[in-house]
Amino acid sequence: MSIELTHPGCELLSGQPMVIKNVKNYFHIHTYGGLSPFFVGLREGRLLGTRCGNASCEEQRIFLPPRTHCPDCLSPSVWVEAPTVGEIYTHTEILYPGAGFKLTTPCPLISVSLEGVCTKMMSYLKEGQPRIGMKIKAVFNTEHPTHTILDLAWVPA
Amino acid sequence: MIKLGHGNLRIPKFEKPVYMVAAGQTDFRKKYPEKTTEELCVEAFSMAALENDLKVSLSELKRMINFCVYSQFADHFGDQLLGASKIHDALGFDPLGNIEVKTGGATGGHSVLAGALAVASGYANCVPVVGWERMDEVPTRQGNAYIASAACKNFESELGWMYTAYYALMAQRYQYEHKVPRETLAKIAVKNHGYAVSSPFSQNPMRITVEDVLENNLVSDPLSFLECCVMSTGAAVLILADEETAYTITDQPIRLTAICSGTHTLRTADRRPMEVLRLPHEPEDLYKNYQHDWPGFSSFLAARMAAYLAYHMAGIKNPVEDLDILETHDAFTISDIQTYEDIGLRPYGRGREFIDSGEGYYGGKLPANLSGGLIGSMHAVGATGIFQINEIFWQLQQKWAKFHADPKMWERYGKTKPADFENLQVKNARRGAAISHAGTGSHVTMAILEKV
Repeated sequence: MSIELTHPGCELLSGQPMVIKNVKNYFHIHTYGGLSPFFVGLREGRLLGTRCGNASCEEQRIFLPPRTHCPDCLSPSVWVEAPTVGEIYTHTEILYPGAGFKLTTPCPLISVSLEGVCTKMMSYLKEGQPRIGMKIKAVFNTEHPTHTILDLAWVPA
Repeated sequence: MIKLGHGNLRIPKFEKPVYMVAAGQTDFRKKYPEKTTEELCVEAFSMAALENDLKVSLSELKRMINFCVYSQFADHFGDQLLGASKIHDALGFDPLGNIEVKTGGATGGHSVLAGALAVASGYANCVPVVGWERMDEVPTRQGNAYIASAACKNFESELGWMYTAYYALMAQRYQYEHKVPRETLAKIAVKNHGYAVSSPFSQNPMRITVEDVLENNLVSDPLSFLECCVMSTGAAVLILADEETAYTITDQPIRLTAICSGTHTLRTADRRPMEVLRLPHEPEDLYKNYQHDWPGFSSFLAARMAAYLAYHMAGIKNPVEDLDILETHDAFTISDIQTYEDIGLRPYGRGREFIDSGEGYYGGKLPANLSGGLIGSMHAVGATGIFQINEIFWQLQQKWAKFHADPKMWERYGKTKPADFENLQVKNARRGAAISHAGTGSHVTMAILEKV
């Protein structure tokens, strides 16, 4: 019995220097771990952030993106509803995204400022032209969820 | 809230002085199929050993080395884990100990930091720092996705798979707060593409105008293609040594008086406002009436922290006065303006003056990125921080022309020395600095080199 190839091999692109095309096709299994409530929340149309669970910690504002532990005192966080109405802190319009981008282009990316939230999460504006200070509200892709951060978007409020 | 304590701001010190004795590098190309990564690193090391007027032979130098540091940003790009082991073998360094450093775009700077720590502590007395990146195995769009893997995969990467977009968010906010005209940003691209014309190592030399930049296609508003760094393949090597070893190797060692590191959250989103950390030359009331969040999206705390430590460590009282030459990590025009402020060339909000005044140009008080920088010359990420320090090293040794002006250097890379070549040697340069920068400012080093 002789050993045979089970794969067609690599495509030869050039002879000298010899250059080959090595095609890859694989996936990763990724866990959201302790951040899962945020992504579960998106499927339910809820925007969840975290707050430090230690009442004596100086930082009592909401973190969004959420954090499993407070970065200041390392106490476990508690989950809270974050405001779903806020304003655009900054924006861009992306014309040439990298490979794997799942939205149509040009796509307005935004950073979102929310009352009581000490961070400014990145997201995208689903409708309208962005400008700094523009009032916006959260919308959720619950019908055909991607199970990623793309399930959260914003529209003019 | 970040509140810095006394221990956090302790000024680093070297137990023993650290010197740089040699520099070497390849040219940088979008695609480099002619050579394997190992060949590129051997070529860069050989230049360091053979072309820096050393008093020892390559073999003697190799026998003096007792520890090695390797610098590569992303295993994704080379598609080879433990690539450092192959390079260590190719350079014939086995069985010497080595480490590989990874801090994103600042990997080069941090690798030099690691080498310096080894020499400064007496752990080693001669350390090569070898950096490379092979970014030509994948199409540019895939390369950008790989780079965006160095954003938060849960909350950011999916939003563009493109670092330019993350910097564009900063650019829009910076312009809103500080009203920097697009023309000033464009000038940085014109300057650095222009200096790249006089470097045989450069990948993207261009004589362009501000109008060319303003009319160029946008990658992500407001940043155009001409305002973004290149994606390169190539290698760079430098060699560090303690005092006795340095003078055995060369009569012209350059002292590394400081190399310091700062960090901030990977996600720009997570940067909570804090009090401005003031540099040695900034008066107490300078930011009393500062109206914007700091660092916010307009400034890099990591760069400010690195500069704070490095200036104190090297005794820099005022960077524009005390430094003669600078290499910044000009990944994008906007990040360059931000960095001018973070390292105190101008107060926050006034970074544009460094360019508009002409100070940052050849012939100005503090010429910046005469190498062509990341926009004009190269960004083979793991090599970048080393390449920047190499260019400063040759400037301080007054050997810039040897490595840039000789027509043979150009022929080596299959190029012809251009008719509009300019001699960019800074006369009497005594002190230089280089900034290595990662993410949207997740890691930054500042190195300060000084002629002995």
